Amino acid sequence: MLYYVDLAFNGLIFGCMYALMAVGLTLVYGLLRILHIAHAAVYAFGAYVAVIVANGTGSIAAGFAAAMVAAACLGMAIYRLLYQPLLGYPPYVAMIASIGLLVFMEDGFRIAFGEQGLTFAHNPYPTQLHEFAGLTVNTVQVAIIAAAVVCLTLLALFTTRTRLGIAWRATVSDAPIATSFGVDAVKVRYLNFAIGSALAALAGALIGLLNNFVEPTMGFVVSYKALAIIVLGGLGNLQGTLIASLVLGLVESYGTIFVGRYLDRDAIAFLFLIAVLIVRPKGLGGIKTA
Amino acid sequence: MTHHPRLRDPRLRGGPIAIAIALTLASPALAEVKIGFQAPLTGPAATDGVSAKTAAQMAAEKVNAGGGVLGQKIELVTYDDQARTDEAVFTANKLVGQDAVQFAVSGSYSASGRAAAPIFQKAGVPFISAYGVHPDITRSGNYAFRGVHLGPPQGRAAAKFVGDNLGLRRVSIVTMDNDYGQATVEGFKSAVDQFGIKVLGEYSYSLKDRQFGSIVASVKRDNPDAIYVTGYFFTAAPLVSQLRSAGIRAPIVGSQAFDAEKLLEIAGPAVEGVYIVGGLDRDRDMPELKDYLAEFQKRAGYAGENVGATVYSAIRLMADAITSAGTLDQAKVRDALAATHNFPHLAGELVSFNALREINMPMNVNVVKDGKFHHHAWIDDLKLLAPPTE
Repeated sequence: MLYYVDLAFNGLIFGCMYALMAVGLTLVYGLLRILHIAHAAVYAFGAYVAVIVANGTGSIAAGFAAAMVAAACLGMAIYRLLYQPLLGYPPYVAMIASIGLLVFMEDGFRIAFGEQGLTFAHNPYPTQLHEFAGLTVNTVQVAIIAAAVVCLTLLALFTTRTRLGIAWRATVSDAPIATSFGVDAVKVRYLNFAIGSALAALAGALIGLLNNFVEPTMGFVVSYKALAIIVLGGLGNLQGTLIASLVLGLVESYGTIFVGRYLDRDAIAFLFLIAVLIVRPKGLGGIKTA
Repeated sequence: MTHHPRLRDPRLRGGPIAIAIALTLASPALAEVKIGFQAPLTGPAATDGVSAKTAAQMAAEKVNAGGGVLGQKIELVTYDDQARTDEAVFTANKLVGQDAVQFAVSGSYSASGRAAAPIFQKAGVPFISAYGVHPDITRSGNYAFRGVHLGPPQGRAAAKFVGDNLGLRRVSIVTMDNDYGQATVEGFKSAVDQFGIKVLGEYSYSLKDRQFGSIVASVKRDNPDAIYVTGYFFTAAPLVSQLRSAGIRAPIVGSQAFDAEKLLEIAGPAVEGVYIVGGLDRDRDMPELKDYLAEFQKRAGYAGENVGATVYSAIRLMADAITSAGTLDQAKVRDALAATHNFPHLAGELVSFNALREINMPMNVNVVKDGKFHHHAWIDDLKLLAPPTE
């Protein structure tokens, strides 16, 4: 019994990581109808900034703060320099540019910081163990769950309780009408990229810390996994994305054990995606977007 | 007096000018024996490729410092194959056609070695794949040799180590799902009965995976006496850390590719006590190995590993075969290679090649102690380690 709880807990950790990653992606889609594949490079970028700043200053907290701020700036720069000039073209043009940016950044990390990746010089957290009702978890795993819960709660409060947040949601669901009510759509886009990118960077930095390993290609797997999640959640649907993240985390966690001999984890994820889309073409999150 | 050994060669002394011209045409740099060399100098495998190139260069210099082969210096003609099959085919053709190399060594991965081997076979160029583990490499024909243990013998050695040396019986297996990982685990499983081992669970993961939570939970449920793991440092380090983080304290026995300094850097204290079957014995009392490790560290800026050691030995082995053949005739050098016995490979005493030109060689087991790889045991039952013969 405990074993199944343990598997569920591991699925929950995957799910939280996917959620932090996928939120930014689904919001970009909701706002601009662009599949922002380079989001995965922002995730890896966050991990690199965190490890470099942490090793330079000796403070992992400083590394995380720097990662989120730098990624927010990078996200806004990607919007301004890559997507904005392409907004007049069909969405696949921006998507191709996004793939290009992902490949470019991956190779950039490789050339700048080496093929073998980087490690935190002082990282006691993955080996700090805690016992919860028979489960053994480490500090970073707890931090991943806490980060997802705190950040997504703050995001929910922000989008429902503040003027700017409400304006943001309004723009995501209907940009022309929001604009006619005086919402600055451009400002909302910057906000969107800044917040989404900071969350992706947080996810990347946490995974870097968990494995004590930051490598050039670390964004690649999450890139297509996160795409699967936002499709599963109903494109642009925030709630659906969160549900899809957790469900996929659990499916992978159990799937790795029970069908892992025949299918690798990614295959399990995509089979699940196909199965869900056959039954519910609009995804898990229902019909309404945002 | 300058050394002119070539003039002492009876075939050349006073021989007809026509022969000299023919020789000149056949090998443009007459004073040098060309050995073609392929390694992944760029792309995802570049770390190993650069190690391979450094080691190959050191071996060539070592041979030349000792007078070369048959009085001639050896020269490496090096190409980047990016560990890709298409590049390996392209550069192998270039080595054979354009550079007219007489011998070749691959310091690259399985896939490119496998693609290049038939080209060298067709051209009658004796070829050694230093550390490529795909079984098909030596099946390309009688000119293709391999300087490293295949997966199945590595797995059988691990089973012996767990059952005999550690005396442990109940084992969980975690393996990467590529050919090499699966072949190695098949070898392990083929020997479990012989060593009284019971396999409690077998789990596989993809090389892209870094989160092994559900496998870790399953191993924890198995509660094994030992865990046998195949993987490369970039999967092994997170996997071992996660096993230890879950409070699993059973001994971990890893496969050859664990043997990389980066494993120690990433996983730190978590890999302390991990055994590596097929790792490079850095403690061996062998002056050439000690010199090699010191010089490699100086040139590369990081510690020498298995990849470099096998490449170094492959070049030395080829030079050795040319010397013992006493001629550059490729068929005779091939025969000399096939007849190799008790060659001082940096990874162990290479006893002989079998009928399929696979090595008969004992296998070293390392243990991680105080953040370093140290020799722990030799598995020298050559019957158990016998490579496939067809």
